[in-house]
Order: sequence, then structure tokens, then C-alpha cells
Amino acid sequence: MRVLIIEDDELIGDGLQAGLSALGFACDWLRDGRQGLAGIGAAPYDAVVLDLGLPGMDGLAVLAAWRRSGRSEPVLLLTARDAVDDRIRGLDSGADDYLVKPFALGEVAARLRALVRRRSGHSTPLLQHGRVSFDPAARQATLDGKVVDLSARELALLELLLGNKGRVLRREQIEEKLYDWAHEVESNAIEVHVHHLRKKLGSDFIKTRRGIGYTLGDEA
Amino acid sequence: MSYSLRGTLIRSLLKVVTPLWLLICTLLAFHAWHEVNELYEEQQTLFAHQLYGTLPTLVARSEPQSVRPGDNDHQAMAVWNPRGQLLLVDSDGLELDARPGFTGFASLRQHDEDWRVYYLSGEAGSVAVAQEMSERWEMIGGLLLTQGLLWLLLLPFVLLALWWAVGRGLAPLARIREQLQQRAPDDATPLSREVPRELQTLIDAMNDLIGRVAQTLQRERRFTADAAHELRSPLAAMRVQAEVAQLVQDPQQRERALQQLMNGVDRSSHLLAQLLALSRIEAAQQQQDEALDWPLLLQELHTEVSALATSHHVTLQLPPAGHTQWPLQHGDQTLLLLMLRNLLDNAIRYGGGTVTLQADATRISVSDEGEGVPEALLDKVCERFYRPPGQQQTGSGLGLSIVERIATLHGLRLSLHNREGGGLQAVLTRSHDA
Repeated sequence: MRVLIIEDDELIGDGLQAGLSALGFACDWLRDGRQGLAGIGAAPYDAVVLDLGLPGMDGLAVLAAWRRSGRSEPVLLLTARDAVDDRIRGLDSGADDYLVKPFALGEVAARLRALVRRRSGHSTPLLQHGRVSFDPAARQATLDGKVVDLSARELALLELLLGNKGRVLRREQIEEKLYDWAHEVESNAIEVHVHHLRKKLGSDFIKTRRGIGYTLGDEA
Repeated sequence: MSYSLRGTLIRSLLKVVTPLWLLICTLLAFHAWHEVNELYEEQQTLFAHQLYGTLPTLVARSEPQSVRPGDNDHQAMAVWNPRGQLLLVDSDGLELDARPGFTGFASLRQHDEDWRVYYLSGEAGSVAVAQEMSERWEMIGGLLLTQGLLWLLLLPFVLLALWWAVGRGLAPLARIREQLQQRAPDDATPLSREVPRELQTLIDAMNDLIGRVAQTLQRERRFTADAAHELRSPLAAMRVQAEVAQLVQDPQQRERALQQLMNGVDRSSHLLAQLLALSRIEAAQQQQDEALDWPLLLQELHTEVSALATSHHVTLQLPPAGHTQWPLQHGDQTLLLLMLRNLLDNAIRYGGGTVTLQADATRISVSDEGEGVPEALLDKVCERFYRPPGQQQTGSGLGLSIVERIATLHGLRLSLHNREGGGLQAVLTRSHDA
């Protein structure tokens, strides 16, 4: 899951990026409202964490501009002000959720997952396909009820495939969702992750569509 | 010292009225004495003339009358024939000497009694009419006694009326007291001006005070709210970094998160220190007024900011230790150090290049070679917690508020300008020179 963080506070931004990355998100961090305005189109983000008090351009103005131009990415607002008016203004400007500083990192992650889940139409937090199920909050995959040991990237790939059932994902699409700008992608990285997932979850769990990309295998 | 308005009024009244009354009585006594004397002496003269009129008849009888015993009516008279022989006497204990040829008044003292005698002498003989002076004194005494009694009778009523009038006059004060007792401490509505004119200046002064207190209270509340909000960001940062440290497996990443956590603690400490400094200066009505040791101040300033300058690759130019031209010779050394440190701190963090502190007899200036501040924001940067957009450097947003407050305490005025060649210049001028 790829997330855009727009936060001017060095320590908070840095912490969010490091923490959300550790929780399985691919994160990009921008420090300025104007950069954020254009930055949202630079990658297929699943959600945005937006600070309200931004230099250059106020968070609410950025949000309003996005919504006007038809961008519908779910947005989680961060604000230092807990006045009801501020929250109402934020939600009315097109935000999907908000958190008041200081917040818990786990809550940011949980709210982001909930936003993405709601957007994709799932209601249960657990993602399932055949004998495999995945708990995004616990970052845990099970095969026939038994926990399977997967790396963070493998979990992210699994989450991506489970969230796009019936769709064929191109390799570049997968790369964009799994890797933020800070990480170089090896040319065969996705093939390696697919290979590992097949080995751990069954060879027909992922089907390859030659020349197009990958999709989930039939539910058995 | 507490005292009663009623008591004071009554005492003052008695102090003024009693001597006045005594003075009036004295004048009255003098006047009455004069009038009574005139009246009695006129009577004596008239009686003497009537007696004299009867002399020819008495002389014709030519036999001297025996002396009649006194009838004790404080009056006496005597009649003599031209040869000085006593013809008639009603002595009333008084021995009257014949004074042939004398006409007029004379005073006598016999047997501890003062007498006033009128002699009338002529060819037909002479007469004397005498009256005891005590008669007159009694009359004056009676007059004064009436006056005194009248006063003593009236006085309680006057005092009672005064007591009542004072109470009535003070009733508005009781109403004001009630208003004040029922008032919430942060109530800023002014007191009613429907009071006697004499109390209106007091009410106006109190309303002025109420207004100022309310303003201060509001400012303090806003400050507390702002401060609480400002503390949220470093708290959020510390919490996030602490969680990251718990979360990551990689020791290097954990080390980094812990380092960031420390930065967050430093930042909060700085913010708190600035908040405390500001609230202390705000509370300070009077600062230390000592002779300033500028060489020492410069040395301390250098010690405190040189590390920051080095880490920001800034060249620091302070006046030489022997520099004597300063706009202030007296003041609070600690506060002035804090003020100049904040200015240099700002110039180093947000400006850069060469940071120069200059001073002469009228002003102190701190200039940098950074990008300056957009003209539209120059006024705003002095506001509490205001931080210009795009600021990458950490800071509390309180530095210039602190500078401004200390400057004001020392009669200096802070102004900010963008320099022609680029960079910001902060100037402290003596306010009465500006």
C-alpha cells in the first residue's frame, strides 16, 4: 500500500515515514503544500496523510484543490488544533478522516487501512482467497489457518493481489505500489517476490499472464 | 487604616461648629452687655432727672428725711439740697457720698458689690441714682444660658440628621459592593454609572481597571491555549519516533529513531524554556537596573552562539570587547543577553552568511545575509508562535516576542527591515529617539 505523507515538521514526517514503512506501507514524504499539490499525481497512492498547517500552501487549500481537480484519494488529516470547527472544516473540505496531534502511529496505520478498505468496498478487515487469508493490521498471512512466514515485501504483494481480485496487475503497477522513491527496485524484484509467494502459498496461488502481468489464481 | 466616614464627618462638624458657636456667643455677650448698659443707664438718667424735678418741693419742706432702710432691690438713690445736706435716701446698703456740682456716671465698689451711679447736680441740689452691676450680669447670663440650652437641645437632632444623611449618601457604595461581590472574576462588563457624580470618577477608574484585567486575562488564556497547541507538535514527534524505535528491528534504524526522539526532547525543552522566559518577562514589571558590563555581555553572547554559528556555517561578527558605544548603560544584564542571543539565534538559523552585530550610542542592529522575510510578513513574524511558511529550521516562534518584550522594558523599539543587498536587519532603537 503506497501512502503520500505531506508534513512540514521534520521529526513527525520522518517518524511517520519510518514507522509506516515498518508497518508495511510504502511511503513518500513531502514537506511543502505546493509540492504536495502536484506530488499526488506522481505515483498511484492508496491514501494521503496531510498535515493542516503547511508552509507554502495550507493543507485545507491543497485538499480543496485536489478535490476540485477530481482527485479522490482518501485523505487522513493531521491537526494540532482540536477545535470542533477545525475538524468540521477539514471534513467538509473533502477529508475522509482526521487525527489530532499527538497521535499513535498504530492509529494512523489502522485509519489508513480502514480508509483504503472502505474505498475498495471491503467491509471486513481480513482479506481472503481460497485457503489463504491475510490480516493487514497484524501483517500476518495464514494458509489453512497456519501462519506462513512472509517478508514485508511479500506481505505487501499479497495484500495488493488480494485487494485487486479478478484484476491483472502489470509489473510496473506492482513496483509502484510496493516501493517508495527512496528504494531502488531491482529489475527482477517482483519476479522474485512472486516466486517466493508461490513457494509458500502454493504454485497456483498466482497466475502469470504473459506479456501483461500477474493476477490471483482460481479459488480452490 | 480603617475609619468611619460617619464618625469623621460628625467629628469634623463638631470641630468646626463648636468654636464658631462659642465665637458667636462671645460676640452676642459683648453686644448684649453694651445694649443692657445703654438701656439701664438711660433709665438711671431718666430717673435722676425725675428726682431732680422733685427737689424744689423737698427743699421747701427743708427738713431732712431720715434714712429709709434698704428694700434690697439692687437699686439705690439719694437726694441732697444745695448745701449738700442729705434730704432723701434709699441706700440699699450703699453709702453714697454727696458730690455737689458733679453730673455724670461713676463706678463704685462697696461690700464686694459693684455699683454704677449717676449723679445729677444743679442749683436745686443734687441727686444720685445707683444700680448694682450684678443685675446686669444676671441678665447677660440668662441670655447666654438660653443660647447654650438651645444649642444643647438642638445638637442631638443635628447629629441624628447628619447620621441619617451620611447613610443615605453612602447607599450607592453598598450597591456597588453588592455588584462587585456577585461578579465573576472574568466578567468584563463595566459597572453601572448610575451613581452620584462624586462616585463617578471612582466607577470610571474601576471600569478602566476591569477592562484592563479582562484584556490581560484574555491574552493569558490565548497564550496558554497557543502554548498547549505548540506543545502538541513536539509531543506528536516524540511519540511517533518512540513508536518507531519500538517497531523497527534494524538496530541502525532504531538508533536513528532514538536520536530523533532526543531531538524532539531538545525541541520541547527549547520551546518550554522560551515559554517560561516569556511568561517571566511578561510578569516582570520592573527589571534589574544595574550598570551594564558590555564586555562581559559580549563575551557571554559569543560563548552562547558561536557553536550554533559554526554548525550553520555562519561567520559571526561581534563588536570588539572594548566597544564603548551602546544605547544603554543601565539595565538588566541577563535579560539583555537573552534578547541579543535570540536576535543572533534568529539571524544564524533563518538568515545565514555573515551575521553582524553593530552598536552605537542610539541603536543596536543585527543583520544577516539570508533571504530576508517577505515584506507582507514583516509585521507577523513578531507575533507569538508565528513561523513564516517554508521554514525548515526548528524554532518556537517565540524568539521575537521575547526580544520585543525585553526591548520595551528597556525603552527600546524593535524594527525589522529587509536589507538592500539581501538579508534581514533587526534594529533596536531608543524609543524616545525614534
